[in-house]
Amino acid sequence: MALVKLNDLEIEVEDGTNIVEAAREHDIEVPHYCYHPGLSRPANCRMCLVEPYGPIPGAPPGTIGPARQLATGCTLTVRSAPPERKLEEKFDAIIRTDSDRVIKAREDILEFLLVHHPLDCPVCDQAGECDLQDFSYRHGHDKSRYLEVKNVPPKKDLGPDVLLYSTRCIVCTRCIRFCDEVSGSGELGLINRGSHDEIDIPRSHEGTPIQLLDNKLAGNVVDICPVGALISKDFLFKSRPWFLEKANSICTGCSVGCNVTVEYKTDGLYRIKPRFHEDINQHWMCDDGRLGYHYVNSDDRLQLPQKRVDSELVTTQWADALTLISENLSEVEADDIVVIGSAQGTNEDNYVLQQFAHDVLKTTQLGLFGQEPGEAHKFPQFTIEADKNPNTAGARTILGSANGNVVLEDDALWEKVAGAKVVYLVSGCPERPLQDTEKDALEKVEFLIVQDILPSEVTQLADVVLPGTTFAEKDGTFTNSSGWVQRIRKTIDPPGEAQADWEITQQLAKRLGGEIDYHFAGEIAIAISENVEGYGDATHQNIGDAGIKLT
Amino acid sequence: MVQERRILYEHLDVPDINTFEVFRQHDGYTRFEKAIAEYQPEELAQMVWDAGLKGRGGAGFSTGEKWSFVPRDIEPRYLCCNADESEPGTFSNRYVLEKNPHLLIEGILICCYAMGIETTYIYIRGEFTLGKKMLDAAIKEAYEQGYLGENVRGTGLNINIYSHPGAGAYICGEETGLIESLEGKRGQPRNKPPFPAVQGVFMKPTVVQNVETLCNLPFIVGNGVEWYTQMGPTYGDARFDPPKPDPNTGTKLYCISGDVNEPGVYELELGLTCTELIEVAGGLRGEEVKAVIPGGSSAPILTHYELDTRLDFTSLTLAKSMLGSGGIIVMNETRNIVDCLLNIMKFYAHESCGQCTPCRWGTPWVRDIVQRIADGEGRQTTVTRPKFGITESGRWGDTGETEEIYEDLDLLENVANNIANVDTMTWNTICVFGIAVSWPAVSYMRKFRPEFEAAIRESKLVTLSVAEATVPPEENYAYQQRIIPKEMADLE
Repeated sequence: MALVKLNDLEIEVEDGTNIVEAAREHDIEVPHYCYHPGLSRPANCRMCLVEPYGPIPGAPPGTIGPARQLATGCTLTVRSAPPERKLEEKFDAIIRTDSDRVIKAREDILEFLLVHHPLDCPVCDQAGECDLQDFSYRHGHDKSRYLEVKNVPPKKDLGPDVLLYSTRCIVCTRCIRFCDEVSGSGELGLINRGSHDEIDIPRSHEGTPIQLLDNKLAGNVVDICPVGALISKDFLFKSRPWFLEKANSICTGCSVGCNVTVEYKTDGLYRIKPRFHEDINQHWMCDDGRLGYHYVNSDDRLQLPQKRVDSELVTTQWADALTLISENLSEVEADDIVVIGSAQGTNEDNYVLQQFAHDVLKTTQLGLFGQEPGEAHKFPQFTIEADKNPNTAGARTILGSANGNVVLEDDALWEKVAGAKVVYLVSGCPERPLQDTEKDALEKVEFLIVQDILPSEVTQLADVVLPGTTFAEKDGTFTNSSGWVQRIRKTIDPPGEAQADWEITQQLAKRLGGEIDYHFAGEIAIAISENVEGYGDATHQNIGDAGIKLT
Repeated sequence: MVQERRILYEHLDVPDINTFEVFRQHDGYTRFEKAIAEYQPEELAQMVWDAGLKGRGGAGFSTGEKWSFVPRDIEPRYLCCNADESEPGTFSNRYVLEKNPHLLIEGILICCYAMGIETTYIYIRGEFTLGKKMLDAAIKEAYEQGYLGENVRGTGLNINIYSHPGAGAYICGEETGLIESLEGKRGQPRNKPPFPAVQGVFMKPTVVQNVETLCNLPFIVGNGVEWYTQMGPTYGDARFDPPKPDPNTGTKLYCISGDVNEPGVYELELGLTCTELIEVAGGLRGEEVKAVIPGGSSAPILTHYELDTRLDFTSLTLAKSMLGSGGIIVMNETRNIVDCLLNIMKFYAHESCGQCTPCRWGTPWVRDIVQRIADGEGRQTTVTRPKFGITESGRWGDTGETEEIYEDLDLLENVANNIANVDTMTWNTICVFGIAVSWPAVSYMRKFRPEFEAAIRESKLVTLSVAEATVPPEENYAYQQRIIPKEMADLE
């Protein structure tokens, strides 16, 4: 640890920490553009200049004063110094971020940054979350002294989801470094020189793109762009960021379990942005997860229960659907019932489902359903997994947690389903085409109960369809492939009369005389922590935003 | 009359000196052989330090000191010869490359031996096609003669030289920009520290030396430190007690151009004054000296009041200018300083690499302001300043005195100083390109302010007489703090 005097604070920081981070920990703002904690540090924006103190050359020993040159806070790291090099006998470094020189330097740099930057904040998507706007407001001049004509480089379409408004670009090169270092695909580069610097993709002499910015992580360049130069086509002109509510959640795109922030209004989700987690996703997420939320807002979402009348599915009331199900369930033997949980569902959903099966239906035949495996992708600093469900590990453990429970998957499951009379299948998959074996097996079932979010091939075979909820409409926890238990939060209300999956299961259980009575997801999590091995600490309170790792 | 002291250029005019045989007849490679036979590598490095050789590329940093920063336990180490001579007004390396490339190779061999280096890259300016051709031929010959390659002349040394042409960027003459370009990246300078001596080419310790610096090495080895230190003055740095010796030893290839009768490269001992130098170059062409640029276009300008400034590293630093690469441009009374500044600023605005913010957008801005002034569109405002005192009515209040303010001159100075502050010598940029821009901008404007004001006032370029155009030293803090008198030289 190093002892640093930062302005008038005495702070202890880890060896090798840079000044921007050290200051951030103590709520001191060191404005910066090119520096990003997940990328290399070229120190080219010169915005994070700070004033280091040290011995003055030629002065008597022990005299310290400000260094002749300001230093960039992003590259200036502090380390524990040997005793003879301590300043004022105890400090390893003395830094000021609020001296007149620093304040003037920031003003000057901001003036240069704004020389060619257009005043199009009213139509810029970044407005409201723009570093240039914020820092200009806090550290900049109030008027421009630039009289000449501004550079107007062209607007460019870089790839499937990314637009570049070159006029707004401040050439911090974060996006270039991201493509070089994190995705390793290196699509972006600088063209021209000096004040004509432009970010671009490789192009032929005629200007036709040779390589588009279409890697699976491309969306991250929009997040890390400190200004409104790189813009997501998906979010373009959809909403002002200050109108959006934010909730911390987990991406459901695959079993990595990237930490995300879901941004929403009452009418649906607007975008998903990655949230830092050191051990799971760092600062990033993939585009499959980022852009895969649209099904939540879909107009096709199941809003009311449905039942089959004369081979047609017609909407009905909850009471009617539940009565129909309980009648069918009470008529058959426990061995003829298969209850299938979902790897898309939360631990809480699956726990209640397992309790329902074990305690009420007295069946130990459980299955696990989920998305088909997709492609895995490996990047230098990021991984996308083949398992496209967020909670396979959690669902598997929790469904099998009660005494004697057997969790069947894949062929074993479909073999069992083919011989069953009643199947209660919880799906929750956004899009799930059925394989022939799966379809055949489900067609043989006498009474198929499907709990799902969208009309799908599965619901087409069902006798009763119950409208469930997506990750955005319920609380709960997911367990990712590396054993991290993390929280998702309710953001918007479910469409129509759809309900959280555990609530539906609980109501069914009550109909059949079961004694399952939870009031909110956190209560189920406490039950899980008491009854499931390894989940001892996994209450919502303990999990928080950081998640906990199973031991 | 001062005489030329030809050392590096001694055999420059010998026919076919570019061939190995002729070079050999003129003591070629004997200094390298002497170095290997008589000295250990560490002794050689110490010799260079003792000789007081300062880097001739521009910064004037002590070569021996630079070598001492190179960690000798990290392998491999590299030597990078900077032959990307692109400072406007400088053309001395070009003659060495075109006429006497073997001298450079010998210097490289000595440096490689002293620093235990096996690989040398010569980064040669792309426009030097003839230079590159001659150099490559010389390297080929040196390989054939066994002075390069495996086991050089049976000494067990392995030394290889690769010449690499630049792609036409001024900034690739900056040592880290050069290294980036050599590695195949965009020619953009690196943040320092780490310095190239610790992490240079391919992140290994690298010695980066100018052609002229390396060409001095054979003569230091051949004739000894004492012989070398007799040339040029050695000052004492008075901040230390006793004064720390500040050597400005050896000769310098001064590239004299502009309004002199015989422009060209002159090899002279360091420490001559401007006046003497103009005499050497055949005297002034024209009536009187208006200005002298002492060290390439990025050096602050000297006025006719400062012609007794000695052209060496220390004196020019104290005169708030620099010797730089030794490209001296003389201007007579017909030259318009605004026009000169515009010319230089156009160059810098074009050559900014665009990596860091102040330079990327400040440099073209400075150019635009100068362009505006030169076009006669400079802004001038007459403002009423609230000056408080006894007013006409006999009461205390605003006297209503007016003053003319040249807004664009203030703006020019301010913007240039925001890129790099010439008063405090601090810069917010990554490399010293920033100061290379603001130095001329601010010094031209401060020292020849009447000419800038005239251009704004009369809405066109006006060339004033020398006396009218120049701000006298006592009125301007842009001038030198002190000139070291000649007597103070030669500390011994």
